[in-house]
Amino acid sequence: MTAETTIKRPRAGRIKGGRRTILTIGMLAAAAYFLLPLFWVLVASSKTSADLFSTFGLWFSGDFALFDNIGETVTYDGNVFLRWMGNTLLYAVTAAGGGALLASLAGYGFAKYRFKGNRAMFMTVLGAVMVPTTALAIPTYLLFSRLGLADTPWAIILPSLINPFGLFLMTVYVQSAVPDSLLEAGRIDGAGEFRIFFQVTLRLLAPGFATVLLFTLVNTWNNYFLPLIMLNDPDLYPITVGLARWQGQAAAAGGASGDLVPLVITGSLLSVIPLIIAFLFLQRYWQSGLVTGAVKQ
Amino acid sequence: MTATATAHKTRTGAPERRGRPNRSGRAGYLFVAPFMIVFAALFLVPLVYAAYFSFFREQLVGGTVFVGFENYTRAFGDAELWTGIGRVGLFFLIQVPFMLVAALFFALALDTGLVRLGRFVRLSIFVPYAVPGVIAALMWGYLYGPDFGPFAQLAEKVGASAPDFLGADLMLGSIANIVFWEFTGYNMVILFAALRAVPSELYEAAAVDGAGPWRTAWSIKIPALRGALMVCLIFSVIGSFQLFNEPNLLQGLAPTVIDSSYTPNLYAYNLAFVGQEYNYAAAVSFILGLVILVGSYVFMFLTNRRSRS
Amino acid sequence: MNPRLSRRTAAKGLATALAAPLALGACARDKTDHPTSVTRAQIDEAMRTPTEITFWTWVPGIEQEIALFEQAYPAIKVNLVNAGQGASHYAKLRTALRAINGAPDVAQLEFQMIQSFAITDDLLDLRPYAMEGLEDRFVDFAWSQSTGTGGEIWAIPQDTGPMGMLYRTDIFEAHGIEVPETWDDFAAAAEALHEADPEVFLTNLAPSQGAFFAAMLWQAGSDPFAGSDGADLRVDLTSETASKVAAYWGDLAGRGLVSTDADFNDQWYQALNRGKYATWVAPAWAPTFLTTAAASTSGKWRVAPLPQWDAGAPPVSSNWGGSTSAVMATTDKEIPAAVFAQFINTDRESTETMAFDQFLYPPTTALLEDPEFTGQELEFYGGQEVNGLFAEISDTVSPDFQWSPFQDQVYADFTETVGTAFTQRTDAVAAMGEWQDRITEYAEYQGFEVTES
Repeated sequence: MTAETTIKRPRAGRIKGGRRTILTIGMLAAAAYFLLPLFWVLVASSKTSADLFSTFGLWFSGDFALFDNIGETVTYDGNVFLRWMGNTLLYAVTAAGGGALLASLAGYGFAKYRFKGNRAMFMTVLGAVMVPTTALAIPTYLLFSRLGLADTPWAIILPSLINPFGLFLMTVYVQSAVPDSLLEAGRIDGAGEFRIFFQVTLRLLAPGFATVLLFTLVNTWNNYFLPLIMLNDPDLYPITVGLARWQGQAAAAGGASGDLVPLVITGSLLSVIPLIIAFLFLQRYWQSGLVTGAVKQ
Repeated sequence: MTATATAHKTRTGAPERRGRPNRSGRAGYLFVAPFMIVFAALFLVPLVYAAYFSFFREQLVGGTVFVGFENYTRAFGDAELWTGIGRVGLFFLIQVPFMLVAALFFALALDTGLVRLGRFVRLSIFVPYAVPGVIAALMWGYLYGPDFGPFAQLAEKVGASAPDFLGADLMLGSIANIVFWEFTGYNMVILFAALRAVPSELYEAAAVDGAGPWRTAWSIKIPALRGALMVCLIFSVIGSFQLFNEPNLLQGLAPTVIDSSYTPNLYAYNLAFVGQEYNYAAAVSFILGLVILVGSYVFMFLTNRRSRS
Repeated sequence: MNPRLSRRTAAKGLATALAAPLALGACARDKTDHPTSVTRAQIDEAMRTPTEITFWTWVPGIEQEIALFEQAYPAIKVNLVNAGQGASHYAKLRTALRAINGAPDVAQLEFQMIQSFAITDDLLDLRPYAMEGLEDRFVDFAWSQSTGTGGEIWAIPQDTGPMGMLYRTDIFEAHGIEVPETWDDFAAAAEALHEADPEVFLTNLAPSQGAFFAAMLWQAGSDPFAGSDGADLRVDLTSETASKVAAYWGDLAGRGLVSTDADFNDQWYQALNRGKYATWVAPAWAPTFLTTAAASTSGKWRVAPLPQWDAGAPPVSSNWGGSTSAVMATTDKEIPAAVFAQFINTDRESTETMAFDQFLYPPTTALLEDPEFTGQELEFYGGQEVNGLFAEISDTVSPDFQWSPFQDQVYADFTETVGTAFTQRTDAVAAMGEWQDRITEYAEYQGFEVTES
């Protein structure tokens, strides 16, 4: 199901094919710019470490070592890479699902209900993101440590559930995509507020929900600083901290260094693949059919 | 139906002022409670603790003393901090318009359905957002490289010399390019998703009026995107002023161009983790938060007034 | 969005965030009281009691040494944690030390960081636990680097980096350049090589590598923080000797005879592989490092001693890098932690594993005199006995060099003053004064009594 077949929109037929081709070429050029780095990662993943630093970076040369590199990445240090991937998957999926749900509930609450402190709370959330947290890691760690959360998976999952950006987005979304008439209709039918939300509203929010889900997923997936400070146990590491650890070992000044640079690059390539799959999967929810169909009911 | 939808479109970011009297306020609390509880416990409490922290001074020798607002007065007179704030302000003014216009263009172009391979293009533009920062730095470091980078080698072949992307003059532009590369897709996805929420009745009406795709884009889609654009803008303000990752990673390539106070957030980080001036770092973070708050407010005020007149 | 309302509510939110103080201490350090003397019997008993200790290190493959320890002391279990390397390791360590728990019992510390952790009372003085003849097992400079001004034993040396010079025979031969024995020869060679091939530099002077520059000061006899003790800090970066070193490198950089690229990044690896630099003035761990980082240049490198300032005098070298095992003051398992730190760095089998399997350059006299170690012929260096050469150099490293109690800040300031002068080709000697001013300002803010000289 492509976007083109589902949308009943005025287009194509009346446009000259030439303009369409120019637009397509332009967009493909843009795509090439955005893909270039990924291509570099792919090329670099296919090289041995000897070739990596002595051959032209943007084309394949020397031995094609992609599969050797993948094999070595996965099996290095007792399959620890797979363990890190599994951890990341656990943290990211839990945080993304929970975070998107919390943001949807709260966004809906802020957008559609009037209650005391509504705006104050909303603005506090927004105000809080304005303070950068990189330098505040130490107070945060001391507090988490007191709560017994440091060095547990909760230290990563719980803070990732809060996505102020997601809240903001969902609030805007509810305002644009959920007509009051629909809620009134639900109430006239005698449905409770939560039933209305889960049975009627949530479906309308699919594109917004999918967007917040995707962003929280990517954020948690690429989260580096928080797990670095919070986690001591390497068995709990997500992939970013694990790769950085290899990277540190590879660039080790002052100690023995393993042959790890190709592993870091290959590991990065592998770690991006699940995100691409998630993106492709979630794309489905941006098709407009879902939204417009529901409104018409 | 169409009229209701349009009315809703014109609203921007924040919650509506006038609620409806027949709604139960209690249900509202229940909806926001889960988010707010986790937010307060894991976000606000550490923040408040950090604020408390910023009123002390802990020295390597001599222990910890309460100093009141001393860290804040020091920050107000700290030239390194304000140079950094000026730099990210400039960055915001140059980089964000480019990025948002491009994101808007891509979203609209893809939404017209005129682009062949649309899903592939959409994925390609989004992918950089998913690439880990360490790898992005490795890659751009390679591309920008003054000796072995492809641009430099190409320039050498034709007997010219490539611009020094990592030099003091071009560094901010080089960072802007990386941020553009990383976040255009992110903004595009927000805008694209928002376009999907526009009811198709609006388009049908426009089609009946004989509007072409670009006219539809201009007079229906862009107004419908106001809320989402506001989201992108506010978060671009925050992202620009909190710029950290990219300069931090490029510092390894050009350590004498990107100094420890190149951006205010980098400065706060270095104060805390290199200089062990944790209290002062906390104060700097709050000052920066205040600057962003004022900046966002001024910005919203200006756009709101302009759209009303 | 209504601006009037948002301003008021946002301001309210911020005021709440700023005003409410929490009933939490600003500092949660919790130092256990440690005994000042320990008997043999107490040690034996502690080592028979089942205990778990945590060890933070980045050394790959150190599981082998841990296994040897656990074999010798089956009651003790060692939890290995790799908390990253360099800055991220120290950031984590400092954070964990401030919390109630989470800090390790034993941690890897580089020599230059020992004083920085000792000043905050984070290290356990190992004197009560020291085995007999501990000091005599290590080369002088490694031992003096690990001890405090009052004779405290802050850490046990694990590996070192006595300085030498790695050079490309192929480049030297192609341009008829002799291996320089003095810094004057070195400067002349830099000029000759640059003239012969402007694309190649005799060496690279990394502007952010404070550790290299410290090694240069050290060799020349400058000891900028000598005499510092606790809250009393002495700093002298403007001495005649220090100025001589700054002027020398500033001159080479200023005339464009050496490159000034940042090191340990992709660009620098490329340059090493593609022959942009004809030498790397580097320590004993560098030969192993190059074997993987510049794998494509195998067989082209040789190692020579560090060039000298005074051709007639006995040769002098210095140290860059290397590390130690230190016991944290927060531990309540002092005995097993202290025994562990000593065991892995003194036990014969353990130290041999480090030297032969992990390629850590040893600080123990036993290994430095072991023909099996010194006679190793490295293929990458055309069969040269590299270890033996560095063993000779190791003997010539002066033990007189003191680190500042906030070395990471000192290095950061180096990059922004002297390092920047190298890349901008401005006056490096003046930059030394600026470096000293920054250090003084910082130290005074941190509560030190500063004496400049």
